[in-house]
Amino acid sequence: MQFSSSLLEQAVNEFAKLPGIGKKTALRLVLHLLKAENSAVQGFGETMIRMRNEIKFCQRCHNVADADICSICANSMRKHELICVVESLREVIAIESTQQYSGVYHVLGGIISPLDGIGPDQLNIETLVSRVRKEHTQELIFALNPNIQGDTTIYYIQKKLQDANVRITTIARGIAFGGELEYADEMTLARSITNRMPVESYRTGG
Amino acid sequence: MLRIKQISLVGFKNYEQATFRFDKRIIGICGNNGVGKTNLLDALYYLCFTKSYFARGDQANVLRGAPGFRIEGHIDNAGQNTTVVCILRENGKKEFLTDGQPYEKLSRHIGRFPCVIIAPDDIQIITGGSEERRRFLDALLSQLNPDYLQNLIDYNRVLQQRNSFLKSVAETRLTDKHLLEVYDEQLVAAGTTVFQLRRDFLQQLLPLAGSYYTGIAGAEEPLSLGYESQLLHTPLRQLLRQGLEKDLYLQRTGSGIHKDDIDIRYADEPFRARASQGQRKSLLFALKLAEYETLKKAKGWAPLLLLDDVFEKLDRQRMRNLLERVCRQDDGQLFITDTHPERIRQEMEELGVGYQLISLPADTATTDASTRDFT
Repeated sequence: MQFSSSLLEQAVNEFAKLPGIGKKTALRLVLHLLKAENSAVQGFGETMIRMRNEIKFCQRCHNVADADICSICANSMRKHELICVVESLREVIAIESTQQYSGVYHVLGGIISPLDGIGPDQLNIETLVSRVRKEHTQELIFALNPNIQGDTTIYYIQKKLQDANVRITTIARGIAFGGELEYADEMTLARSITNRMPVESYRTGG
Repeated sequence: MLRIKQISLVGFKNYEQATFRFDKRIIGICGNNGVGKTNLLDALYYLCFTKSYFARGDQANVLRGAPGFRIEGHIDNAGQNTTVVCILRENGKKEFLTDGQPYEKLSRHIGRFPCVIIAPDDIQIITGGSEERRRFLDALLSQLNPDYLQNLIDYNRVLQQRNSFLKSVAETRLTDKHLLEVYDEQLVAAGTTVFQLRRDFLQQLLPLAGSYYTGIAGAEEPLSLGYESQLLHTPLRQLLRQGLEKDLYLQRTGSGIHKDDIDIRYADEPFRARASQGQRKSLLFALKLAEYETLKKAKGWAPLLLLDDVFEKLDRQRMRNLLERVCRQDDGQLFITDTHPERIRQEMEELGVGYQLISLPADTATTDASTRDFT
């Protein structure tokens, strides 16, 4: 791509660094900003900078927050003895969107994978362990991706909490709601049969 | 009855664009060295295994200068037509579709179209390291049992993570015993399943291969084949616990099913040290024949057979016995490459079977190959 202005080129390159944005999309976004009012672009830039500078991570659950404690942890209506353990903010947003969960969260910031250079020390595991002991948590619900590394992370944390009096569960794994049995892969189907559930708990939604 | 009817290649190895139609059960592929005979066989292998037999990594199979490749096969399986497409995209992502439906996991495809290949370098299965024999065993068992493949994949993933963790321990000097225990549990679960399946399966396969060997050799020879695994003597959990100090020192996992082997002995000496060239080839054919027969029995129809340059590099007489069996007794499809069309013609005429001969021109990139039928 040829640019007559190096300022334009730099701006395009910056946008192209974002995930899912190629050179052409970056150019479109930059040209859009170029057409906009000066003040609007100023506002756009300042919002980004403020977001990065001023955003905080909740000291309790590591969720994003505007204060030292996030709005979920600060909410006294929620069940604080029930903690849902997730990999990242994205899962918090997904679970909150269901409006079915009234406990609190703990964001690990990743899952254990030494191959990718992520050991237990890089994650918010120590804070989770001490939090469970201090707050006398009754139940941990693991909502991690159903793969080997996710399992490793669950077993590891479970080992760390062996002596604590806490119930440890994971979200159900099996046939997706609205899915067709015929098209489910064999492993999922086999697991669903092994981990079948009583109809009464199914009907009341757990 | 399993038949590949047609294959189209775009940007694969030396093929810019080419389509081949197969209308016979036996297909000879001939042409000079370097025109792409083995590449065509490898493309057929791709349709069955979603990967190359010869190259590690998909990128190595892309035509120089091309962004990626596409292999499209039309397969007739007992009257049911399936279109199988394998695409390697520019970004290195591989897509595999049957009748337009992408697989979520490539491993689900393995075993759907069973296939046996024999290539000159396969003599490594007899003479090479234990890795070659595990590769042979894994390719066969994976086609028979998807559960085996899944456990093997899981095992290898955990093993990689564990080894990577052992390396990081050496760097940081921090041993997290809890994490090692978790990895050990995960290895034990998957590894023990793989071990049991290998043990039970080899109890059938090895005697079968032994009897084929006797048949090929024409006389009883003091050959013995056995499964060798540390797990035969000690449970994996105990092995890992005992080996922990050594693992930490060496920064890799020293025990498990990734050390398994097929022990081949001749008069109580290692076969590869004792056996002649001819005996090695006989044993290779015996193993491949046992593979072919096992797949046929399990699936209910004969697998595809891909033979790469076997007359020249391996052995004509032993080959003929195999062909005799495959062409006359079975009804499986057979692809065979050779530099000399006369040699294929002669073999097939002596066997008295109809065949199709594809002659690859010197520049296969764009020209269509000539094909002739002989009945």
